[in-house]
Amino acid sequence: QTINISGTVSDDQGSLPGVSVVVKGTATGAATDFDGNYTLDDVPANATLRFTYVGYQPLEIEVNSQTVINATLVTDTKQLEEVVVVGYGTQRKEAVTGSVVSVSGDEMREVASPNISQALQGRMPGVDISQTSSQPGTTMQIRIRGTRSLTASNDPLVVLNGIPFTGSIGDINPEDIKSIDILKDASATAIYGSRGANGVILVTTKRGYKGQEAKISYNGYFGTRSIFARYPMMNGPDFIALRQAAGQFTNGADESENVDTDWQDLMYRTGIVTSHDVSVTGGSEKGSYNFGLGYYRDEGVIPTQQYNRISLRAAIDQEIGRHFRIGLNSNTNYNITEGSQVGLYGILSMSPLADPYNEDGTWKRTVNMPLDEAWVYSRNILGRLDDRWLNETRSFATYNAIYGEVRIPGVEGLKYRVNLGLDYRQSNEGAYTGRGINSANPETLSTASVSNSHTYHWIVENLLTYDRTFAEKHNVNITALYSAEQTKYTRSRMAARDIPSDQFRFYNLGHANGEITIDPDDQIYELSGLMSWMGRVMYSYDNRYMLSATVRSDGSSRLAKGHKWHTYPAVSAGWNIGNESFMDKISLVNTLKLRVGYGQTSNQAISPYATLGRLGTRPYNFGNDNYATGYYVSELPNSGLGWEYSETWNYGLDFSLWNNRLSGSLEYYVTDTKDILLGVNLPPTTGVGSYTANIGETRNKGLELSLNGLIVDTEDWTWEAGLNIYGNRNELVALSSGQERDEGNWWFVGHPINVIYDYEYTGLWQEDDPYLDILEPGGNVGMIKVKYTGDYNEDGTPARAIGPEDRQIMDLQPDFQGGFNTRVAYKGFDLSLVGAFKSGGVLISTLHSSSGYLNMLSGRRNNVKVDYWTPENTDARYPKPGGVASGDNPKYGSTLGYFDASYLKIRTMTLGYNFDGKSWMEKAGISRLRLYTSIQNPFVMFSPYHRKTGLDPETNSYADENAAVTGTYPSRLLTIGTNAPATRNYMVGINLTF
Amino acid sequence: SDILDEEPRSIYEPGFFQTETGIYGGVTSMYAHLRYIYGEAYYYNTCLTGTDEVTYAQSADQNFRVMDISGQGEITSTSSRADVLWGTAFSNINTASGVIENAAEVGISDDVVAEARFFRAFDYFMLVQTFGGVPLDLGTGELAFNTNPVRMSGRNTVPEVYTRAVFPDLLTAVNDLPDAGRVTGGATKTLARLYLAKAYLTYGWWLQNPNNIPTYPETGRTDPDGHDAQWYFQQAYDVAIEAINNPGPFGLEENFYDVNWAPNDRNKEILLYADHTETSEFYNGGSLTYGSGSAPDNFAGWMMTWNYTTITSSSSGTSWEPVNSVQREAEQHLGRPWTRMCPTIGAITNTFADKTSDSRYDGTFTTVYHGNWDKAGISGSLYNANFMEVNPGDAILTFLNEESSEAIDYPGSEGNSNIGAGVLPGRSDFVIAPGGISRIVYPGLWKLGPYRTDNGNGLGEPNAGSTRPFNIAKFSELYFIAAEAAVKGASGTRSARDLINVIRARAGMWRWDNNGNEEKIEDHSADMIAATPSAIDINYILAERSREYYGEGYRWYDLVRTQKWEELAGTYEIGGSNYGDHTPQTVTRNIEPYHYLRPIPQSQLDAMEGNTETYQNPGYE
Repeated sequence: QTINISGTVSDDQGSLPGVSVVVKGTATGAATDFDGNYTLDDVPANATLRFTYVGYQPLEIEVNSQTVINATLVTDTKQLEEVVVVGYGTQRKEAVTGSVVSVSGDEMREVASPNISQALQGRMPGVDISQTSSQPGTTMQIRIRGTRSLTASNDPLVVLNGIPFTGSIGDINPEDIKSIDILKDASATAIYGSRGANGVILVTTKRGYKGQEAKISYNGYFGTRSIFARYPMMNGPDFIALRQAAGQFTNGADESENVDTDWQDLMYRTGIVTSHDVSVTGGSEKGSYNFGLGYYRDEGVIPTQQYNRISLRAAIDQEIGRHFRIGLNSNTNYNITEGSQVGLYGILSMSPLADPYNEDGTWKRTVNMPLDEAWVYSRNILGRLDDRWLNETRSFATYNAIYGEVRIPGVEGLKYRVNLGLDYRQSNEGAYTGRGINSANPETLSTASVSNSHTYHWIVENLLTYDRTFAEKHNVNITALYSAEQTKYTRSRMAARDIPSDQFRFYNLGHANGEITIDPDDQIYELSGLMSWMGRVMYSYDNRYMLSATVRSDGSSRLAKGHKWHTYPAVSAGWNIGNESFMDKISLVNTLKLRVGYGQTSNQAISPYATLGRLGTRPYNFGNDNYATGYYVSELPNSGLGWEYSETWNYGLDFSLWNNRLSGSLEYYVTDTKDILLGVNLPPTTGVGSYTANIGETRNKGLELSLNGLIVDTEDWTWEAGLNIYGNRNELVALSSGQERDEGNWWFVGHPINVIYDYEYTGLWQEDDPYLDILEPGGNVGMIKVKYTGDYNEDGTPARAIGPEDRQIMDLQPDFQGGFNTRVAYKGFDLSLVGAFKSGGVLISTLHSSSGYLNMLSGRRNNVKVDYWTPENTDARYPKPGGVASGDNPKYGSTLGYFDASYLKIRTMTLGYNFDGKSWMEKAGISRLRLYTSIQNPFVMFSPYHRKTGLDPETNSYADENAAVTGTYPSRLLTIGTNAPATRNYMVGINLTF
Repeated sequence: SDILDEEPRSIYEPGFFQTETGIYGGVTSMYAHLRYIYGEAYYYNTCLTGTDEVTYAQSADQNFRVMDISGQGEITSTSSRADVLWGTAFSNINTASGVIENAAEVGISDDVVAEARFFRAFDYFMLVQTFGGVPLDLGTGELAFNTNPVRMSGRNTVPEVYTRAVFPDLLTAVNDLPDAGRVTGGATKTLARLYLAKAYLTYGWWLQNPNNIPTYPETGRTDPDGHDAQWYFQQAYDVAIEAINNPGPFGLEENFYDVNWAPNDRNKEILLYADHTETSEFYNGGSLTYGSGSAPDNFAGWMMTWNYTTITSSSSGTSWEPVNSVQREAEQHLGRPWTRMCPTIGAITNTFADKTSDSRYDGTFTTVYHGNWDKAGISGSLYNANFMEVNPGDAILTFLNEESSEAIDYPGSEGNSNIGAGVLPGRSDFVIAPGGISRIVYPGLWKLGPYRTDNGNGLGEPNAGSTRPFNIAKFSELYFIAAEAAVKGASGTRSARDLINVIRARAGMWRWDNNGNEEKIEDHSADMIAATPSAIDINYILAERSREYYGEGYRWYDLVRTQKWEELAGTYEIGGSNYGDHTPQTVTRNIEPYHYLRPIPQSQLDAMEGNTETYQNPGYE
């Protein structure tokens, strides 16, 4: 028996057009009309109707012979989150065909962080976020699916509320974030064309929504920062033994064997981290608003190091009449970073035998070690220096996006939108070092410097979109774009010597009695522009078959005339297998989607003017009073410099199983990057150092898996867990024609871009080892033994001494890495945990290598506590103190700095309680109240480096920073050096909404 | 469209070389390029370590040890530090070619262009002596300004480099350069004559090749211009004599001491130097407070400075309460200690055998370390050797001129002086005899010591690079060149002995006792001339050159030119590396004929495209 059914579908706001009404188990269905009405003919009387609509929970109603069935749908907050921002628009997650990962603001804030780069670490597969500095307020390096470019930038594009972001990621307050979506493959990033090659991070800040009741929220936390571990330096007795074993130095004037000073103890303090954020959000019939004010303060464990930020956010959306909509989104912040003048090398290298105090208990100004007279500083001394030693950077930035949107009357689904982005950022750095500060000589002149930089950025985007569903099943979305933008960056810097009074700090260099310098190499002007045309079509049929195609054409000012424009296509397709009728019988599978994409993107991220060549400057004095600046050709022009571009194939599988209890995705990709923009070192005989060219090719391929499970879900208990795991394999496929290796830059064809090129440590030379005299002329027993790759004579003796040809290429990249999170809730309580892990790869510790000058094993300055060779202790890892040296370090000392980079880290653990539905809350007008406490960086496990040193195995420096010698490694590599020590933070926080 | 156009506003493009300001800037950078070679300590080391003047000292690293060729590691394409010259010279040659090509169009006069010609010849002359034949074509033709990013290179032969680059440029420079420099320290006719004479002399030796030293790229020892070695020796003699007879504003100082005495820097005897100044940190090119130990800083002087700061005296006259009595000071006798290089005992005892008539020993070394603890804020008297009282300014440590007739009481290790120095009865200073110098305690090199006018009453800034000019060429060398040419058969008005005696007579003139720190107006010229042998041979010239230019970076080139390296520097004597070592050890060097050329640096080979196998000098592959 069949009947005819009609009805109206609505939600709590009124009728809903476009709702899909399907007779369950069949292809029969209809969609509601503009007023929410539908009719269905010839429906079995015992059938079930299924109502589905994006953003609402699906609803099923048994017909039971009723002929009028009205349905009320309930919004699904979970479903709402399933809308992802894909650039110049949003898309239902179900329809996405590219590789996109998303994280909501709330998830991200599970790790309380000064900026989003820290919050996102380990949260998404394929997104490798590494620490480059451990000082307060610093941001991290983000690499999406590996590095592909050699000289040009590998940083992803950040888009804030639709506008390409020109500032520092630290300028965005994590409390303001609504969601973050990361586009990883070329089919997704192609719409950003020339800037999408390194991936795109779309940051969306909070807005209000229409009809929302006004709410005020406060989120805040307070915590302490204390060191995770002190650097493992020798104490007095250790150091006496080392100095004796080395036999090179005797005690300096301020040293005594019955002194044992822990200089680090005298240095570190407990820092404070605190954040306060207030926001107001609300909506009216035609508009909505959101305002926020935030304050963040982060004090480091090294005195004077701190970061403060005040941020202000405003978002307004307003409809005008039936066709117009306008809006504004503004993010402004002011921040101060202080204390970078205080380094740790002086503390770590200070002899533990040196007494910091005079006999009367006052601090010594300097201490004399055997060869060095070192200036004494400590927590106490820094506290008193006040005006006399400081470095601060004050930044002000404002990022504004204004849009106007009009529905074109007469053509349903057609909209025109103009986005105007206006950004401005300035950064003022001032540094002052008073007379005799940080110097053995009390008369060393004071120095001061001021540096000012400004970034101006504007962009205009004209967008035409057409979004419509035909015949209920054909969903078409067409976007066309024309945009133009320009960025101007200027910097000026001046420095002066001999400031007559400390009170001036760096505020009036004009008073300097000494030289005032404006170094021409420190003054920068860069103006660059980009113009783009883009078209995109997204089509889906019946939620089963999806296709997306994009073409974009970009013109960049940075490239040579005639090579400025490049056009790239991208196409991707998806098949929602789970929505096929034949899958209905497989109840195990809820969704199953296959995606394939191909696309091209490109990179123009070289400095402006790189095509023009450059003269280097050489200041010179002819006698004591005639100064001149010389010029020589340092870079040659390249009139053929064009785009570097990447081609990516991406294959993805999304699934959810067991009633959505387990969901996840698996992706495989291959990215080939060609015509790489490379600063090519020329042989000295060319007479010029380098030039920039399109040379070389790299490849990245990788596998990514993410899983989310709802393991327990009862009335009182829930347990959720997520895991992501990924591996990227990077390979340098080609350098310039026929070239297989570039030893100067450590680039080798057939190996990853980031490698170590050095001798391979194989142990120490022992008493009975043969051929020491042949392999290491002038060497000694107990010195480092490295791999010999040469030939052997007929009698079995090595044919030559160990030399540069024995250096090895060593891979730095981990086998796999990833992150995990889990959350257990019982009634109002919840306990959550976020972690990250890495397996394999090489960690460079400049503390232990020769570039750090902290492992000289000579007894000249303090040494990292290591197990070194002595005639009685021959199975040590570290060589005999005072043995054959290269520079001030043991020969092959660089090989001592390589460690297994594996680790598993709990990044944060949080215990919270939600006060829900308490009557006193209602009386007080509180709609939400949550209290929590959390620990950051509580544990490190499975880390060989941590086991040996007690230190956090996360990198904290670029290779040209925080080491005594900075030329050893290419500066692109990350290392552990003498930066501020890693910390462990304890905090308590509150979330409150009225 | 507009927003895709570029106009730089903070940098110069290479086209700037086609303007007058650009040309002058190019010429300035040629002077500035000297700083990347002279005063750069690692290059300085290649000029001295391994010769009879210098060996490696206690804190030496591989940079120094390999250059000693005494079994401390091999000289290779990566360990040789002659890369400093290679890495600097070609860029400057290219700049010079750019200036030479563009000058006429911009209307720059010949005398300024001649400065560029001088520097191009200067670099080629340095390269050809160090590496053998080098490329004349950098990418766009022989001696042409190169803006072509080529990654290939072909080496010319030694005769080609001399006859096509060095000689023509220097002849033009001699003709066009002014008598007095355009700027302080600027290139002059006399300077160009010195280099022309020296290039002729060097090339004459090369043609003659008395000890069969190989060259590379291989080529016959014949001159493309058809002259023989003798012709070049005569040219060297004639050009040098002409320069002596027409000195312009140059000439010899009255006393040897004044040539290298810091307050008298940039004196009339100095023809070329890499300048530095304490008046401007920016134009000095290096920190005025803490030197980085890299070019363009002038830090060569640190290398032969041993760690005198560990010397202790006592604050008590009864028990030894150590006080550092000689503090690190920005003063010419002292400076920043790096202990990387030290004199051989032979240099002290043989080369400078005469320490009383000849003022040059006293004007070369710091042999007495005077107390300066008062400048570090330590007041009062101290007690030193034999617990005798000493006051600031008194001798704390003395390297004796001669072996002592009385036995010196040396401690077995550091002893009271903390540096293993000995004691003689009745003397308040610690002493070390010439035979007792070691790799760790040795007379310092006074010549290159720092000098500042801003020390006030304190120790100043001893850790900065030297703000003194690094001397490169001296008027006095014209006498040596002419004399050497005469020994090699050149003839003319002045004999080798006459010429050498000009230098020796001057060396006998005293006005100041440098290490005694007191006036000493004495004329020992007659004694000096009397001691000159009647027949001058090449070894005597070389010994005399060492007395005159000890520690200034001439020695390796002198020994290589004359092919006497193995003979004069094959063995040397020095004490060990520990305090208390006072027993000389004889060390043998393994100097092979191939060592007479330095290896082509690995950075060159790495950056080259294609087959690089035949590019390296034989022996270093």
